[in-house]
Amino acid sequence: MKQYDLIIIGAGISGCSIARELSRYQLKVAVLEKNSDVAAGTTKANGGIIHAGDDPQPGTLKALLNVQGVNMYPTYAKELGFRYKETGSMVVGFNEDDLKYLEKLLDNGIQNGVEGIELIKDPQRIVAIEPQCSKEAKYAVYCPHCGIVDPFEVAIAMIENAVENGVDLYLDEPATSITKENNLFTITTPKDTYQATYIIDAAGLHADDVARLMGIDEYNIVARHGDLLMLDKECGVKNLMPLYPIPSKESKGTVSLSTLAGNVIVSATAVYREKDDTDSYKEGIEQLLAGASKLVNGLNTRKVIRTFAGERAVAENNNNDFWIKPSQTCENWFHVAGIQSPGVASAPALAMYVLNMLRDNNVPLVEKETWNPHREEPIDFSELSPREQNDIIHEKPNYGKIVCRCETVTEGEIVAAIHRNPQAKTVEAVKRRTRAGMGRCQSGFCQSKVVLILARELGIPVEDVRLESQNGWLLSGPVKEGQ
Amino acid sequence: MMLQEYDVIVIGGGPAGMAAAIEAHKQDAHVALIERNDELGGILNQCIHPGFGLRYFKEELTGPEYAQRLIDVLQTTDVEVYLSSMVLAIDHNEDGTHTVSFINESGRITLTTKAIVLAMGCRERTRGEIKIPGSRVAGVYTAGLAQRYINMDNYKPGSRFVILGSGDIGLIMARRLSLEGMKVEGVYELMPYANGLFRNIKNCLEDFGIPLHLSTTVTRVIGKERVEAVEVTKVDENLQPIPGTEEIIPCDTLLLSIGLIPENEISSKAGVELNPATNGAIVNDRFETSVPGIFSCGNVLHVHDLADNVTAEAENAGKNAALYAKQAHTEEPLDIIKVTAEQPIGYTVPSTIEKGKNASIFFRVRKPITLAEMVVSSGDQILFRGQPRAYKPSIMECQIVPGKLLEKAGDTISLRLSIKEA
Repeated sequence: MKQYDLIIIGAGISGCSIARELSRYQLKVAVLEKNSDVAAGTTKANGGIIHAGDDPQPGTLKALLNVQGVNMYPTYAKELGFRYKETGSMVVGFNEDDLKYLEKLLDNGIQNGVEGIELIKDPQRIVAIEPQCSKEAKYAVYCPHCGIVDPFEVAIAMIENAVENGVDLYLDEPATSITKENNLFTITTPKDTYQATYIIDAAGLHADDVARLMGIDEYNIVARHGDLLMLDKECGVKNLMPLYPIPSKESKGTVSLSTLAGNVIVSATAVYREKDDTDSYKEGIEQLLAGASKLVNGLNTRKVIRTFAGERAVAENNNNDFWIKPSQTCENWFHVAGIQSPGVASAPALAMYVLNMLRDNNVPLVEKETWNPHREEPIDFSELSPREQNDIIHEKPNYGKIVCRCETVTEGEIVAAIHRNPQAKTVEAVKRRTRAGMGRCQSGFCQSKVVLILARELGIPVEDVRLESQNGWLLSGPVKEGQ
Repeated sequence: MMLQEYDVIVIGGGPAGMAAAIEAHKQDAHVALIERNDELGGILNQCIHPGFGLRYFKEELTGPEYAQRLIDVLQTTDVEVYLSSMVLAIDHNEDGTHTVSFINESGRITLTTKAIVLAMGCRERTRGEIKIPGSRVAGVYTAGLAQRYINMDNYKPGSRFVILGSGDIGLIMARRLSLEGMKVEGVYELMPYANGLFRNIKNCLEDFGIPLHLSTTVTRVIGKERVEAVEVTKVDENLQPIPGTEEIIPCDTLLLSIGLIPENEISSKAGVELNPATNGAIVNDRFETSVPGIFSCGNVLHVHDLADNVTAEAENAGKNAALYAKQAHTEEPLDIIKVTAEQPIGYTVPSTIEKGKNASIFFRVRKPITLAEMVVSSGDQILFRGQPRAYKPSIMECQIVPGKLLEKAGDTISLRLSIKEA
């Protein structure tokens, strides 16, 4: 039995950002996550855009947190040592009907307080802002402060900083039952039981299911599925700012952009499906390719290196808005649910909003005497200068051993990721932290090396190394000769 | 960091790189070879099956034995071998030399050289490239990765397999899995014909009772955390899945043997022009790329089906690199003739030849041809007409054109298959 003041259920980007902000206070906080890593649900299958905030309907919580979040990201990135780049973005129109939509979007953006938003009617200016935009584009809503991140890097940075400041993270621990007695919640997982006075339910697609474990039945989450595509770094397009089409049935939710690493990502269709269905669908992939070709000039759509999919948690009958509020039927239970797009862009502001909600509900938030807002940024070998590369190899020779040739990832970086807190314990967790396996060969050359390094560093048998989840085994045992 | 001057630096220590280095050394060149793995041999080290060396060494060897033959020769030379060393960049100097920067456990090292031979090999096509829908579970491997797990690391990557693609690695893996007690449910091939060598279809599938399903592909991966089944579907003549022909095949592993792609990321960063048909460099008959002094050979130039051919080609490239470095080409290049090809010939290597010199033109057909005559022409003039015979996509062909015939050619020659009724 472990005891806490407050437990956050779910370590996606919302749970991680709340954990990080709560780590400032003299509160004993734990985060319970059912997956083997943070950011392993909706957060990992995300386009990584810090949307400017022109899209959400004015007056919604989403609109407020999105615009506040955009403004917080530059500072957050510096404090927490994750990569963030302001790119600007355009929503692109081709005809007079599109113009009508864009005029409404501009108005939306102005009402939401999006700084610098403008409607461009000069096609030459559109290609001047983004030379790789389709030459057919006639109109665009341009937002100069849109940015990009790697969403899992943000969540990892937040949770590392939270843990550094005293928050406890428990991975592989799904809540199986929750009870409340004498104002104390008891959460049971397959490994342990946890008690706390306050619960923040940030369990993403399953936030409603988790609440129902406690007998709270106040809302429903449905899953809006999205297919995504990743293209090779050599796909004819470089440093592409996020380009959005005018939303139609086929294009709603989609956007094409270059990632921080230099790949092009096309993200993401929007179709309601069963919860936890993260399959890729042929029709989704085809829609994305067709949409991206229309919007982006010179994109070689044959250079797809990966298709994947994720699901956004949508609170039903809630005007497409976030569902962040105290439970009406269970005191000291707080819902942080329905965090669909723009969840990543909103995350820092969402955490502040949650703190205020806790204060309003008399959760004692007293600042710690010492709190470290900074996270030590991991070394990215490929970003170092030749001199720095030489120096780090002299200091630590395993930085001279390339494991992932496509992304130039060294053994030193992989070993470091495995031994950070929290640890990277699976092949996918290593990939999210180091990019090993994320390149054009999709781990064909490096997976076996990563598996052997994980086994060695974690002190576990090679066949116990997992791709991601508990039953996601990679190797069934030794061959005859190996026995 | 250090700077050292070489005549020839060979990048890659597989059957191409070692042969190029040995041959350059025979021309008295001062040679370095840079290999990213801890040992020489490249992908041969995981190819523990026989079938290597029949042409080049005139006896049947396994992959590691084949590699050892070349290693033994290399060790009698003063070629400097850098193991566990990964090349990160090639830069060009004003005096026409190049610098090669690489890292290993001793630091970041920069060497200068007059000539470079690119011999980095190829990689496998992945699930993402052919966009197989379905879940992203554990248990989908390229055939080469599975081969590495079994033959190098000695672990089984699954117990019940479906193999997509009838390329040689997939066929060889079907046999290897069977020998190790794993079950292969079948090999599925999108095309209406097998892609691997005939001997591999026979020895690896037929002898083990493994069915080969042509015109069928995997249309979905099914599973929650590990592969539980795949959906296979028959395809029509346009290679599109035929609705209603889906079949669910229970398995825990999907192996992909769906093609190889030359790995030219370092080459293109160095300014080497690539041929979209091969994904390899555009080279002349000396195997020199568009960048003077940079040569290319083996699977990084175009995908071969036999290591023996790789070695033979690499010798040629290595020799020419050494001659370039020592400025010892005996004669000035003769008039250049451009080589073109018509479908179903997919590409030719080299892209240019020299007038009056015997030319060996390598090519591959895109689909099987039952009976056709090779016609080599220049403008309206037919220079050469071959005997009618069959052509297969799985076999890299070599058309020899005698120099004497080329004397009559203009600035372009064309290779065409005149298809005869079977």
